[in-house]
Amino acid sequence: MSNENRVIVVGAGPAGSSTAMGALRAGAAVTIIDRKTNVGIPVQCGEAIGKTGPGLAEINVPDESIRASVRGFRVYSPGQITVDYAEKEPSGYIVDRRVFDKELFARATEAGADSLLGARVLDITRSNGVVTGVIVRHDGRRNTLKAKVVIGADGVNSQIARLTGLRKSYKPADIDSCFAYEMANSELEVTDLMEFLLGNEVSPRGYIWIFPKGNGRANVGIGIGGTVKTKTAKEYLDHFLKHHDVAKRQLSQAKVIETRVGALPVCGPNKKNVVDGALLVGDSAGHVHPITGGGMGYAMVCGNIAGRVAAECIMKEQVSAKHLQKYEDEWRKIYGSEFEQSLKLRELILKTDDATLDKLAGIVTGESIVRMTAGKKVKIFMKAMATGDKHLIALMNELRKLRMV
Amino acid sequence: MPPTTTTKKSTKKLADIDGELCGVCQACATVCPVNAIEVTESYLIVIPEKCTGCGVCVTVCPVGAITLIER
Repeated sequence: MSNENRVIVVGAGPAGSSTAMGALRAGAAVTIIDRKTNVGIPVQCGEAIGKTGPGLAEINVPDESIRASVRGFRVYSPGQITVDYAEKEPSGYIVDRRVFDKELFARATEAGADSLLGARVLDITRSNGVVTGVIVRHDGRRNTLKAKVVIGADGVNSQIARLTGLRKSYKPADIDSCFAYEMANSELEVTDLMEFLLGNEVSPRGYIWIFPKGNGRANVGIGIGGTVKTKTAKEYLDHFLKHHDVAKRQLSQAKVIETRVGALPVCGPNKKNVVDGALLVGDSAGHVHPITGGGMGYAMVCGNIAGRVAAECIMKEQVSAKHLQKYEDEWRKIYGSEFEQSLKLRELILKTDDATLDKLAGIVTGESIVRMTAGKKVKIFMKAMATGDKHLIALMNELRKLRMV
Repeated sequence: MPPTTTTKKSTKKLADIDGELCGVCQACATVCPVNAIEVTESYLIVIPEKCTGCGVCVTVCPVGAITLIER
């Protein structure tokens, strides 16, 4: 394979395959490499992806991977007061990640990408400080693969992030530790909403999710803060399934058909994702929603941008960080404020106690919060003020600063 | 077991991953401050010479697959 105008994409998940597509369309040659030999396995995810958010109209969710359409979500407060956010039309999908990842990868290879599976990155090569390739272990041998731009799409534990110096290890408070079951024979009360359960008892510094996958299948999981020492994520989820009313109502007959683990960055994007000759996308860039933990949409939209910008820079023979910066500027334009706002909201939720969350839910429950008009925001705000509860009023004032009410 | 003098901050403790429980999510490797946990194609290994026995990996493991053992 020629090294001229080649991009190496490390990681064959949604970020990597989307990056490859973006680079191919803009005229670059692409090699996708992955440590694993089976793309899409093991699944480490809640499998939800939006279809109506910024940028998402342009991405292609493979039809064959879609298991259910959802219109929004139902949140259970710690005291089990429900708040629904449901649009009239489907606003997202629950997919099968095995099919989803594999299909995106297949499409990228069909579009012209070369691939090397079972290739583990050992190091990067540099020339005059510019990244010029990767050294991999493949088939028991050490190989050097040269490229004009190396793109790290290699997940939360990104080797490319470490080797380029773009990220050192995470602090435990900055990641969530996740555990999930895929289940059959569930009896979900709503099959077109994602369910979330909050509360220090069920899921400290995180949430439990129940996502419908059609035909009685469900993805049931938990993310807890990386600093939580009381129990493991698995122990919290098992306890929920055995003892919680919401689980008893919907999952008492459900059986586990797959077990999953994962880790997520929840501290927002890296400050910097480009160096001379290399950049990061997807989880490795911290492109994960700090509250929901969702990352597939970001990975695909930002991956596309990353691939295109890398190809454009290669064509101009300018692959320095200064030129690759165009990628950072473009994704920040779409998602920068969304990440900033949700990081602030995350901090606010984390410091709010369960009793106050219940009071907030009590005020919002029954209200249609899909289109929050100014009038509705005032109404909710006034209802909270009328309670005279100082914790709730303080929370509302903070939410008002974030323009949420 | 390697001698504990190989690292400056070495302690008597060493992270030990139970391969039967581990699901290779790499939460541990993500937070390891000294990059002592390496990922192969399908499993994780602790590099004893690097591990300081700090135990941060034990906390983040979603399935409790890591314990600190005596060196």
